[in-house]
Amino acid sequence: MSTTTRPADEYQAKDYKSDLKPIWCPGCGDFGVVQAIYRALSSVGRPPHEIAFVSGIGCSSRIPGYTTAYGFNSVHGRALPIAQGIKLANPDLLVLVAGGDGDGFSIGGGHVAHAVRRNMDLTYIVMDNQIYGLTKGQLSPTSPRGLRTASSTWGSLEDPVNPLLYVLGYGASFVAQGTPADMQGLAAVIEEAVRFPGFAFVNVQSPCVTYGQEEQSLKAQKGIMQTLASLGHDPADRLKAMALASEYGHKLYTGVFYRNPEPPPTYEAEARRRQEETRAQARPRERILEMFRPQ
Amino acid sequence: MSNDIVIGMAGSGGDGIVSAGDAMITAAALEGYHAVLTKSFGPQIRGGESSCRVRISTRPVLSSGGALDLAVALNWEDFLKFGAELPVNGRTTVIYESATGVPPDRLPLPGVTPWEAIAVPIAEMAKQNAGTEKAKNSVVLGLLAGWLGVGRDSLVAGLRKKFSKKGAEVLQGNENAFAAGVQYAAEHPLREPRTLGTSDAMVEGKLVVDGNDMCAAAALFAGCEFFGGYPITPSSEIMQFFGREVWKYGGAMIQCEDEIAGIGAVVGASFAGKKAMTATSGPGMSLKTEMLGLASIAELPLVCVNVQRGGPSTGLPTKSEQADLFQACFSAHGDVVRPVLAPTSVEDTFAITVEAFNVAEHYQTPVILLSDQEIAQRKETVDPIDTKAFTIVERRRPTAADLGKYERFKATDSGISPLSHPGMPGGNYLASGIEHNERGAPTASGEVHARMNDKRIHKLDPLMRRRDLFLVEGDGHAPVALVAWGSVAGTAREALELARRQGIQAKLLVPKLLFPVAEEIYADFFRGVQAGLVVEQSHQGQLYRILRMYVNVPAGMQPLAKSGSNPILPTSIVERLQKIVLGLQRQRVAEVEPAG
Repeated sequence: MSTTTRPADEYQAKDYKSDLKPIWCPGCGDFGVVQAIYRALSSVGRPPHEIAFVSGIGCSSRIPGYTTAYGFNSVHGRALPIAQGIKLANPDLLVLVAGGDGDGFSIGGGHVAHAVRRNMDLTYIVMDNQIYGLTKGQLSPTSPRGLRTASSTWGSLEDPVNPLLYVLGYGASFVAQGTPADMQGLAAVIEEAVRFPGFAFVNVQSPCVTYGQEEQSLKAQKGIMQTLASLGHDPADRLKAMALASEYGHKLYTGVFYRNPEPPPTYEAEARRRQEETRAQARPRERILEMFRPQ
Repeated sequence: MSNDIVIGMAGSGGDGIVSAGDAMITAAALEGYHAVLTKSFGPQIRGGESSCRVRISTRPVLSSGGALDLAVALNWEDFLKFGAELPVNGRTTVIYESATGVPPDRLPLPGVTPWEAIAVPIAEMAKQNAGTEKAKNSVVLGLLAGWLGVGRDSLVAGLRKKFSKKGAEVLQGNENAFAAGVQYAAEHPLREPRTLGTSDAMVEGKLVVDGNDMCAAAALFAGCEFFGGYPITPSSEIMQFFGREVWKYGGAMIQCEDEIAGIGAVVGASFAGKKAMTATSGPGMSLKTEMLGLASIAELPLVCVNVQRGGPSTGLPTKSEQADLFQACFSAHGDVVRPVLAPTSVEDTFAITVEAFNVAEHYQTPVILLSDQEIAQRKETVDPIDTKAFTIVERRRPTAADLGKYERFKATDSGISPLSHPGMPGGNYLASGIEHNERGAPTASGEVHARMNDKRIHKLDPLMRRRDLFLVEGDGHAPVALVAWGSVAGTAREALELARRQGIQAKLLVPKLLFPVAEEIYADFFRGVQAGLVVEQSHQGQLYRILRMYVNVPAGMQPLAKSGSNPILPTSIVERLQKIVLGLQRQRVAEVEPAG
């Protein structure tokens, strides 16, 4: 299949919007995320049928259905393995992966490190709301210590996961954060992630209006968010990126934490090279069994 | 003169017993014999005990045979660890390392007096001729070539191939050791010659292959372009094969971080339009269960191989068992029917693997290919297969008309809907594990759920009429029946022939489609049957119990079920058949002359 990148104005944001009505609560941060994705995709300009959008389970994992791309709303925590199968089977596709913090860092947490080290050209967007919304308000892996929820009547006894630091620690080449409180910035960071040639991670602070905390609301976020650019951060500086990422939960930085200036080759590019190198050794399929004939 | 000979050898890991077995089957194949090689190891990664059985015959063989004709013990401790896997009886010629110091009348084989026992200074001969005990297996090969009259030239050619890279000295040493074995055999004739004859059933150009390699090659033949998996005994060789070969065919493989990711990648590749496969064994199968459900509801084709080993849990990782049948048929939440296919031999693995892909692609469903360790890791000589005789099925793609207003899960007469894939303009849809309507939109409607269950379950109905997936042998009117599946089917076929020679009229049904249960085919087979056996290597008799769930099984049908790693021999099946026949005769007499 040919890769068709068309003039940026050929596809508009509305071309990526499906006619399914979201099940999200009014005011949910995920509405902003899906809008930002429409905008980012229209800027990139790939036709919807060349995009595969994979998710797991959770409120936010409904998102592929709200786009006109080929969607896959799969099982809890397994979006990344499915997305890697898609990308490796057809490297020409633009593959997006999305889900919540529970999907990505609790039940599916074991897959993230491996998706990072294979470095397939995927964009992984986590809508991080520090709570389980779909199951009605239990602790999530990013809930702060002490948080009282439906499953932590007396307060959480655990420290939260730091998604930014985890993914940087795994060795990812592109790590960013955004919030629907800054739609322009969020669309820009998603677009940059999509264009990045390799595994790109975007953590989105997407508040839950039903079970979330007041201080996570978009209004509250607007008062505290700081762009990394305004701090003069150089995204090529990985150690500085890790220092800034360590403040997750305390500060709300948006923009690109780390962008590897020399990213490693992608798995699918290496696979293609191996296919080309070995193609001449293939026996015709109908004579494949001859490899078992002793000489 | 023999037509069929079973050799069992055991030693410690470094003795090269298994490579001697490989050399024997290769030599036998080159000379046109039919042969089967099974290997068995202790749990150690290196060293420990290892053994193999080689059965060589002038006619096709269906199992690794019964009691040994020739037993080779490089040391008794290791040999005895294999117990019933290397059965010695009154017809067995036992050859053993004389350095073990065991006198021929004091063999540590309790309750058995073998036909003859020969102590051979194998280690000493290796040292004298090759300068190292490492050549013990070359001495053993020489002894076997001498006593059986098989493969002398091919074995020497094999030694040359194997040792040529190790230098002239090593090669010469092994050739000398081999020659010493041959000479020893000539100077010490057996009590009764066991020279192998020839027959017109011997064909040249045979393949030598094990079930795992055959499965992987058949998958490539069927058009499989994607493998995702995780290493697990005894299925890893399938993944390794893909890692070596799939790139050549423009495909890809990925060794994943876990079993779930392995099948996840396969689900993704199938969604992306490729034929895809994963392979695992029991514990991995348990982990893959949720993804299998996803593939069922998203109606995505894939083949999931389960090479069964002893369970539950880690169980017996290196030994064969047929106890994952319940799991294959029923391990799912929700109302799911998933085709389960099982090959009966290495040769059959080719056809059944191709069939698994055809069924998966045609019906847009995950298919479980239920192999077992016995088939997967045994080598067989296989006569050349005419691959042109096989049909390869592709999934139903949307036509231009379908793409006009595409409905991924469109209601059709067959229940099979056109399946698009990313990249296809107009085919865009949402695949999901959540219940969905014809257009793929998520729903919680009970009405839609019932309709979709109906579609997904009944689209598989035609499978239950596939008589070509069932083998029926023997006397069609016989009142005595055998049912067997998987690797045990070959044993049952040999038992049927043995029984026939003893005047027992019986018939045999071998299902290669285990699920959905083909009720009519069983009903036809059981018509007129009064008694018989469902033979299988599981403690509960899982097939027997599944049949009782779906089919009117004649009351006289009983399970002959054994836990894994306990070989079922043709003779033990015939013994049970004799009892059954005797019971039927007594019953008939009782009916004619009612007790006063």
